[in-house]
Formats: sequence, C-alpha cells, structure tokens
Amino acid sequence: MSSDGEDYYYEDDYDEGSMDQDSPVSEGMSEPDIVYDVMSPTADEPAPKKPYDVSYKVRTLQEIINMQSKEVRKIQTLLEMPASTATILLRHYQWNSEKLQEQFWNDPAAALLSAGLSPPVSPSTRTGPLPPSPSLLISPRRPTRSSHNPALSPVKRSRAPQPSGPFECPVCCMEFAKEDVVKETFALGCRHRFCRGCWAEYLTGKIRSEGESSRIQCMESGCERIVREEIIDELVPAGVSKRYHNLLNMAFVADAPNLRWCPHPDCEYIIECTQAPPRMLNQLVPTVECNCGRQLCFGCGYLSSHRPVLCKIVRLWERKCADDSETANWLQANTKECSKCQSTIEKNGGCNHMTCKKCKYEFCWVCMGPWSEHGTSWYQCNRFDEKSGVNARDAQAKSRASLERYLHYFNRWANHEHSAKLDAEFYKNTEKKMEQMQNSGNLSWIEVQFAKQAVETVIKARITLKWSYCMAFYLKRNNMTELFEDNQRDLERAVENLGFALEQNIEPDSIAQLRQDITNQTAYVQKRHEILMDDTLKGYLERRWDFSVDI
Amino acid sequence: MSDARLRRVQKEIRDCAKDKTSQISLEMIDENPFHLIGAFPGPPDTPYEGGYYEVDIVVPDAYPFQPVKMKFITKVYHPNISSASGAICLDILKDAWSPVLTLKSTLISLQSLLCDPVPNDPQDAEVAKHFLTDRQSFNATAKHWAQAYAQAPARKQAQVSGKVATDAEMAGLSEESVKGFTEMGFPREKVIQVLKRLNYRGNVVNTMPMDTVMEALLS
Repeated sequence: MSSDGEDYYYEDDYDEGSMDQDSPVSEGMSEPDIVYDVMSPTADEPAPKKPYDVSYKVRTLQEIINMQSKEVRKIQTLLEMPASTATILLRHYQWNSEKLQEQFWNDPAAALLSAGLSPPVSPSTRTGPLPPSPSLLISPRRPTRSSHNPALSPVKRSRAPQPSGPFECPVCCMEFAKEDVVKETFALGCRHRFCRGCWAEYLTGKIRSEGESSRIQCMESGCERIVREEIIDELVPAGVSKRYHNLLNMAFVADAPNLRWCPHPDCEYIIECTQAPPRMLNQLVPTVECNCGRQLCFGCGYLSSHRPVLCKIVRLWERKCADDSETANWLQANTKECSKCQSTIEKNGGCNHMTCKKCKYEFCWVCMGPWSEHGTSWYQCNRFDEKSGVNARDAQAKSRASLERYLHYFNRWANHEHSAKLDAEFYKNTEKKMEQMQNSGNLSWIEVQFAKQAVETVIKARITLKWSYCMAFYLKRNNMTELFEDNQRDLERAVENLGFALEQNIEPDSIAQLRQDITNQTAYVQKRHEILMDDTLKGYLERRWDFSVDI
Repeated sequence: MSDARLRRVQKEIRDCAKDKTSQISLEMIDENPFHLIGAFPGPPDTPYEGGYYEVDIVVPDAYPFQPVKMKFITKVYHPNISSASGAICLDILKDAWSPVLTLKSTLISLQSLLCDPVPNDPQDAEVAKHFLTDRQSFNATAKHWAQAYAQAPARKQAQVSGKVATDAEMAGLSEESVKGFTEMGFPREKVIQVLKRLNYRGNVVNTMPMDTVMEALLS
C-alpha cells in the first residue's frame, strides 16, 4: 500500500457488492513519480482498487440516524402502523426488516407481543384502574388497527373516567391528591401507574447505570411493555435523554454487521462496509481509514492497521504475548526444582552432580535423587533408564528451540512497535529541521515537505514490518515463506537506511543533496512496502500461505 | 430520593407487621431500617417444612430502583442457594427486579423458591447434581439440614429416639459408601468431602470406576 492516497474508493451506492475482482490491478505501475509530489491530487481521488481492498464509506452519526428513519418509514408504510411502533418492532428484530415482515404477516399479534407492544396484561396492582394520562394520549399510539391485530382489539382507547380518588405511588409511597394525579403521575398503555418522579428515577437508572436503551420495560414486575422513545424523552432530564439516544444508535450500529464505530477515542464516525463479512476474514484484511485520519481494522476493530496479518492471527498473537505462558514454558524447559527446598534451579553447564545453592542439598540432575546413593558411579546416573533420559533431553531441547523461535519473532515485533511509539518525537524533530531548512536554505514550504513525507513513510512501513513478524511466526516453513521473508528483509533494510538518513545533521550547503537522497530513499521504501503488502495480501486470495494454526 | 427510600422501607415494615396471615417477619438490625433480618417458615410438603429460615437483607441506596441484597443466614440444602455462604440465585434479585417488588414479596419468592428448585441454573453445583441424581436422597439430606440448622421439629423427636443425623447423612451420602473407603484407611472427613464432590450417590455409585474415586482420594 502506498502511503499517499489509500487504496480505496468511495462507493456511492449502498448495495451488497461482492468482492470487486475485476478492477484493474496496476501491477507494474511506476510508483516513484507520485511520491515526490505531496500536492498530488491522488490523495483526493479514488485510487485504483486492489483485489484485496474493500470498498467502504465513512458515515456520520446523522447519516446513521437517517438510515434508521428510512427503515422505519419503509416498515411504517408496509405494515401501516405508527412510526414509533415500527421503530420498536425493528429494534426488536435487530433491524432485520425481512424477518420482521415475515413474522408480522405470519402472526401480527405474536410479533407485537414479543416486541413488548403487548395489550394491558394488568397483573394485580393497585395501579390498574386509573386511566392513561393525557400525555400518553397525545403521544403516538401503538397500532390499533384492530383488523390486523386481534390481540390489541380489547384495548379500547376510550377516555376512561377521571381518577376517582387520591393515588399512592406504589414505588415511593407518596400520596397524590385527586386533582394532581393526571399532572404528577403517568401510566403506559398497560395502565401501571406511578409518579413521574419514580419514572424519571427508574428510567435514568436503566439508561445511566445499566446502559439499556431499546428494551426498557414498564416498572411493574412481569410487565413486558416497552417504554417508547417519546415517553422517555418526556420523562427524563435532557442529559439522560441524550445518552439514551446515543445508546440507541450504538445498539443500531452493533446490530448491523456492515457497520462499525471508529474505535478511536473522541471519534464519532461510523464505517460502513459490506464487503468484509466475518466469513471473508480468512482471506481479507479490511483495513480502512476513518475521516478522523486514523486507520482501523473493520474486521476486528483493531485500533490501527494490522496488515498484512489476518484478524484471527492477530488475536492469537496478542493472546500469546499477553499471557505469561512463555515464561512458564521457559521455566519448564530449563529448570528443575530442588527436591529438598523446592528452589528453582537452572543448570547452565557442568556435570549432573548438583549442589543446591540455597540448602546445600546434593542431588543428581538426571534422576533428582540424592547424590549419596550414586556411590562411585559419579557423573553417570545409572538409576535412570537410558532411553527416557534421552527423551527427556530431546523434549527439553525441543521446547528450548520453540521458545527461542518465539523470542526471535517477538523481539523484532516489539522493536518495531517500540519504534512506532517513538514516532511522535521523531516527527517533532523533523518538523524542527524543516523549519531550519526554510530559514537557512531559501527553500519554500512546499519544497521541504519531503521530510514529512519521509517520516510518514517510515512510520507506515514500520507498522507493516511489525506485523510481518507476527505473520512469519505463524507461517510454516516452505518456499513461499522464504519469499515472504526476502520481501520482509528488503523492506526492513530500506526502512533502516531511510531512518538513518533522516537523522543526519542538516548543513546549509548539503541540503539539496540530502533532499535528493531522502526523496529517492522514500520512494524506494514505498515501493518495497507496496511489494510486500501486495504480495502478502494477494497470497491470501490465492491461498498461497500455509499457517501452522487453523484459520 | 433517599427520603423516598426511608418512607418506603418504613411503610413496608409497618405493613409487614400488620399482616398476620403471611407469616413473614421483618426485623431491623440495630434500629437501622436499611439492614434487616427477614424470616419465614419452610413451605409445607417440602423437606424444609417445619424449619424457620432467616435471611439477611441489605437495602441499597438506590432502592427500590435497585434490587435488595438478600442471603440466607440459616444454612439451606438447596440447588439455588449456596450451602456455604447462603448466596441466592434468583432472577428477581438480579435483572428481573422491578421497583414494585417489596421486601415481603421478595421473601415470599424465596419461600416459593424452596418449593420449586431450578437445578438447571444452580448456585451450588454439588447440591444441584445431588438433586438431579437421586431426588429421594436429596430430600433426606435437605430434611437433615432443616432439622440441624433450621430447628425443624423432627430434630427433637430424633434426639428423643437417640438418632441424630450423621456426618454422612448431612452430606447426602450413604453410610455404606463412606465406610467402604474409611475402611481402606482414608480419613472420614476426606472421604466425605471427596464423595460429595464426585456426587457419589444413586446410580453413580455403580457406574463410577473405582480408580476415579481412588485418584481423587489420593490427590
């Protein structure tokens, strides 16, 4: 992947596009000529798409809200019901409108009931006999197309008589005078009445502490009636209502397989991508770039690009590095415990006659028995079956080799990770240098951008290199793997050279030379980077890679 | 809202004191209305019949919008109640809580939990296994526990006749199986502990290989 315009284009139509295989792959495209030119328009134009790239769009929150409204309107028209009912149904069916329609036409009453739009079930509460409050009457009502919904027909929304006496809220035990009941209390269509204070407290708790949104039910025990959006907005303070709507949007995005929040802090964009469903993740690494300028993996939500490694391998690697299992492996491979004081002992040479440094216990390393029993057959333990002794040593050697292999890859991975962390500082230094150059050497702003470009290139390449070591760890040894490691080595060498050049002192008379040098090297790194990425990612599609783990 | 909490709990205590038919009692600890002891008799026609069960009740700050915290003080042998700590696995004490539920109604729910155990969602896995393997033996053990810890009247009769539940009976094991292993020289306590964990009851006694038991005893 080149470091300028990313290899995606913005697809304008939202459709179930499959992998775009036929887009031209610019194999021998000459790279260097675009890298000098930072003002190149390629950054804004859709770059030619590679077969391993995915099309995606970055959505704003408003667009996500509009998407929901569009779905709601569709269902509203099709099923002839109020918008709020359609919304609750859609949320219940996790925005799967086909399933919703199917189930609804099959048995409308059951569909409504399961979504929490039940007719009053009225468990025995004192709250029963009171009529719904006026606020409910003005709010959009649940479907009353009784021809469609026989289950709802018993609910006659006739204006019930005004409350006949004082009312005590069953939750806070406050009494309300007859004339205050309508103003101070509230009941859903299920007619379970509570005071507004308790409603607000209850809903706030559900939203704030429990993070609930679309499944908030009536306060009555066992009543499954869902509290509608408009009612919640009316009953809770503005801040809570805002949080509630956030949660609703979060649930919408979480339910949609083609949407993912940008995982970076303070970023409110949502990525929409239809080309990277979970089943494709064994051959795709759907790295995308959010409008906030940062990259992420659409497949697993990783906070930066983990190309060219598959999501699953990344997960394995992270787990391997996170737990201490390798320490335990090392201990197991290289140490034994003193059979007297249980100190952990590493044998780093010498004979089998061990003397514990701590308790001075003398024992045989092979059989772990006391040395005194060995009589005169020193340096050769004959109490132990020879074959099992060989096996034990083999196992130890094997374990040691596997540990060394892991450490080899891990150290390189961690090294690039560390270097990437130093990038911020590196960047600052470079900026200072650029300023210096503008001041001393009659260069314009545009002309010193080469340094910035070079730093960005190094950073990107380092991240790829880092992951390439994770990849190599899981690859089986074969010719393909050797080619991969050749590419890796070439890129690594190029990156280190460029990094070295960037740290050179800037002399006024050598600026031109340095600029030329760095620009060339940047182009070379970009090219090597591109080659490694291209080859590896295409390899997945061609099923060229043979992993030691199941993908 | 804390005055609402106080008002509500005080009313609940008053109502409970007035109500003579439910047999549920609610007592404050040190005059603190937010830390109480509830108690109720074991339901009839169950192994818990005749026992008297005490429950520790803590009313949280956000009550009644948060569920009360309850655990048994009296030891109970029941799949959904920890035999060690008295912790209770019941939906209304967790996510199915509703603000209209009261201390009294929750205690009544505990009482009915004693009638209808839910062994598929256990708090105490060992007890649940016992329940599923051999109901009769489970009932006998639960009864022994009721007599030993919940003052079920049968205990007095048992004492009169000189028959007190043995440690094997308290663990729901047959004296015969325990003896089989103690005679090999294993300490009785260890045998009971291991057999309890292995659910060595009913048909398991016939199907479990001897080696499995020995391995557990030796480890």
